[in-house]
Amino acid sequence: MAALLRRTPDTDGNRDEIPPGTLYLLILKSLAVRGRLHGYEIAEFIENCSEDVLQVEEGSLYPALQRMLIKGWVKAEWGVTAGNRRARYYTLTSDGKKQLRVELSQFERVMGAISRVIQTA
Amino acid sequence: MRLGGELRRRVYMLLHRARFQQDLEEEMRLHVELRREQKIASGFSAEEAERASHRRFGNVTRIKERSYMAWGWNWLETFLQDAGYGMRSMLRTPAITFVALMSLALGIGANTAIFSFIDAVMLRSLPVRDPKQLVKLGDQDASGITDSFAATQLYSYPFYRQFQQKNAVFSDTAAYYSMTNHPHGFVDGRQDPELINVQTVSGTYFQTLGVEPQSGRLLNENDDSSEGDHPVIVISNGFWKRRFASDPSILGHKVRLGSTVFEIVGVTPPEFFGTQVGDSPDAFAPLSMSAVIPPGWGGYKDNFKESLYIIGRLKPGVSVEQATANVNILFRQILPSFPDAKLNQENLSRLNKSHVTLKSMERGLSYLRRAYSEPLQVLMVIVALVLLIACANIANLLLARSTARARELAVRQALGAPRTRIMRQLLTESLLLAFAGGALGIGFAAAANRVLLAMLPHGQNTIPLDVSLNLRLLGFTLVMTVCTAVLFGTMPSLRATRLQLTESLKSGSGAASAAARSPLGRILVASQVALSLVLMVGACLFLRTLINLSRAGMGFNKENVLRMDIDYTLTGYKDDDPRLKVLYNQIEARVNALPGVDAASFSAFTFNEGSWNSLIFVPGMPIDRNVNVPHNIIGDAYFKTMQIPLIAGRAFGPQDSATSQRVAIISESVAKKYFPAGSPIGRTYSIGSPDSGYTAMQVQVVGIVRDVKFDDIQEPPAYIDYLPYSQREWGFGDFEVRYKGDFSTISAEVQRAIHGIDRRLPITDLMTMDELVARSYANQAIIAKLSAFFGLVAVFLSCIGLYGLMSYLVGRRTGEIGIRMALGADRSQVGWQVMREIAVLVLAGIAVGLPVTLAGQRLVGDMLYGLKGTDPFSIAGAVFLLSSAALVAGYIPARRASRINPLLALRYE
Repeated sequence: MAALLRRTPDTDGNRDEIPPGTLYLLILKSLAVRGRLHGYEIAEFIENCSEDVLQVEEGSLYPALQRMLIKGWVKAEWGVTAGNRRARYYTLTSDGKKQLRVELSQFERVMGAISRVIQTA
Repeated sequence: MRLGGELRRRVYMLLHRARFQQDLEEEMRLHVELRREQKIASGFSAEEAERASHRRFGNVTRIKERSYMAWGWNWLETFLQDAGYGMRSMLRTPAITFVALMSLALGIGANTAIFSFIDAVMLRSLPVRDPKQLVKLGDQDASGITDSFAATQLYSYPFYRQFQQKNAVFSDTAAYYSMTNHPHGFVDGRQDPELINVQTVSGTYFQTLGVEPQSGRLLNENDDSSEGDHPVIVISNGFWKRRFASDPSILGHKVRLGSTVFEIVGVTPPEFFGTQVGDSPDAFAPLSMSAVIPPGWGGYKDNFKESLYIIGRLKPGVSVEQATANVNILFRQILPSFPDAKLNQENLSRLNKSHVTLKSMERGLSYLRRAYSEPLQVLMVIVALVLLIACANIANLLLARSTARARELAVRQALGAPRTRIMRQLLTESLLLAFAGGALGIGFAAAANRVLLAMLPHGQNTIPLDVSLNLRLLGFTLVMTVCTAVLFGTMPSLRATRLQLTESLKSGSGAASAAARSPLGRILVASQVALSLVLMVGACLFLRTLINLSRAGMGFNKENVLRMDIDYTLTGYKDDDPRLKVLYNQIEARVNALPGVDAASFSAFTFNEGSWNSLIFVPGMPIDRNVNVPHNIIGDAYFKTMQIPLIAGRAFGPQDSATSQRVAIISESVAKKYFPAGSPIGRTYSIGSPDSGYTAMQVQVVGIVRDVKFDDIQEPPAYIDYLPYSQREWGFGDFEVRYKGDFSTISAEVQRAIHGIDRRLPITDLMTMDELVARSYANQAIIAKLSAFFGLVAVFLSCIGLYGLMSYLVGRRTGEIGIRMALGADRSQVGWQVMREIAVLVLAGIAVGLPVTLAGQRLVGDMLYGLKGTDPFSIAGAVFLLSSAALVAGYIPARRASRINPLLALRYE
């Protein structure tokens, strides 16, 4: 896994940027697990789940979310956080669930292929 | 569906952009905030937390931009920015913008206008169901009546009926008269006769075309089932609007034609104009009634009165080849099966040699197409070249402007703008300019179309041709506009962005003088000159053709002759009614007695009005079946009126009556061909084919006249003979009057005299013989006038280009010229130097243009009359005109150069 990741010296600590092309998958998965999240919670979820190995350049979530909104994978609505703040919450649409399955199978195919290559060595 | 939803969301986001931007900012703010709080909670100081949260979030502005880009509208925004910027920068140089816009509008407008005529005349399909399936028997569009055996263009009604029953390849067949009737009729019992153009058609006509009525019904097979007892008529949308003000209760209104009252049973749809492009009948009547609709061509039961076009709709799956085979088998079967078929050797061999070719009726028939296809194509090339010249002009202007903007562009590039971004900016400006020009051009085209329509001769009214804007035209204009923009925009923008940055930044003039040395502007101007030369030579050739045509000898004197059509059918007299001849005599005598009138006479034809022709044969001479001699039927004073000189014998006179020996006067060429030995006077010959079922008519020659041109001004004088109307039945069209003095006075008096005899007689197409002759070459007149106009436009545009380039160069070289003058060059020398540069440009243009012209003249060779495409006068004239115009345009900047004050120039530097 680590072989895929580019190490960037200026990130704090021992963290790695997420592999290119998997950001959608991560966001979709987060939403599938937790149902309803705002942007900060998505970032937190990804980092926590990966035990802080994967680190999103947090801002880059937002262009991705905008693209997903346009594709119709997620819906956004304003709500209130636990700390009583106004936040935009994202949920998966049925298209989004389908997309998650597509991205997952794609990812598994690629990963499977890569690990096969590594193992033969 | 998904894509649709995505597009909908994109558009929604575009429309609610402000709200979405706010939302995004707010959630990003919240994110950073929460992160900061989290850091503080985990023990960071406020400052550190602030920094860390921002670092982990990334560059806010960039992220915002990337988010907006996700919406997919950034191209629109940059476009709007570029457009706004371009608009402002164009308004800063209003003179350049104005010249550019005007030349574009003119160029695009002219192209659109000519293309709209090409579209209407040559390209557009008939507005009927599935027009591709329609074919016509016979590939030439000869119209009229013939009795020649095995004619493959025109058919008799009985033939059509048999063909309809027996053919196996058409799902529908229809026939219609190859001519339109132009009777004067009466609407709803009114007293004033009105001209009503009637097309007679078979009952299957509308069904075959697949046309549905707008109201009422169209004609059907029942209306055409028996002769003479179906007085029904269908009117066109135009006639309904014009004559009945679109009265919704139109059905049941009456129209009287001749002595028969027809009932209006339906109205055709608005887009339908029949099957002839450029012709739009007011009404359609069944062929069963054609004998009672003046002039009563009839032929419903005549097996060999061949006057109909036959069209058919191919059955699905039947190819044109299969249909042709079937048609030809039937043709050879049906014709000899008529009991009155004269099956002599000659006719049988004709039948064996005949072949019926099928012609597509997809686009209908059109005399306009015949006469104007070639001129329209030439004009299209001409206007395309004008547009090209305009493009070169604008490219030059933009080039000059972008050089002036070199500093600005260099600064932008230095600040990191990619070259493509700047090119896009410049191209956007070009597009903006092109679209503004294109929009103006469409307006210009609409006006030009009206002028062009008015130039096409067609009775009193403009020709019924739809040249209004349609989708195809708009598409054409759009494509042309974009191409134009690319053409004139690319080069300057490529050039403008290829900069030596440091040099440009150092000073404005450094880059400018580099650009001034570049040959691009000069090449553009030289090519303008070359193209203008091509157009000018073309214009000179066509103008000289027009002059030659107007001076061409006709054999008669076309000056000072007034001619008109008198519709005798309203008198109710038949062709052979003796009272009709009395009426003619009366009119001739009355008009002849008017002051200012030298002579007056009726005739069947004058010039270019169709013909009645047949074989003639002289006893003892072999029959030449290849020569059909046209016959003109005339009054006694015809030769005097037309001033056709009598060479031998006598003219017709009162001694030639219905009961006396039938006589004829022949033209010189007939005399030479048919009476090679001895004087023809007193000898006899026969008129009419020995192969047809009709008996030939014997006439005795009493006179010989000089040859005249009869049908076409470009052809040599042809054979013709003349018969007196006292001995031959004919419904007349033409009345000619030779007059002295003022046309309008005489024409008013002649009309008063005619109406003094019979108030009802409608007079139409009143004009001089001169006009009538000029109409026969209207297509050449149009191309001459338009090519002259566009030639001048081209020269004008090139002069602007030349002037622009030279002024710009002189302006840029002020410093250099100042130095030269300071070093002792005198003013005239400086002026000469500029003039010399202009001369080089013009000569280069001419050197390129001449071979192109000589190559191109071959294309128009057969449109010229009385001169060759290599006509030295035209070429010399064009070269002279072009160089003088160029020198005038160049004189101003040259003078300005010679007036430069060296002191000022150097100080400025």
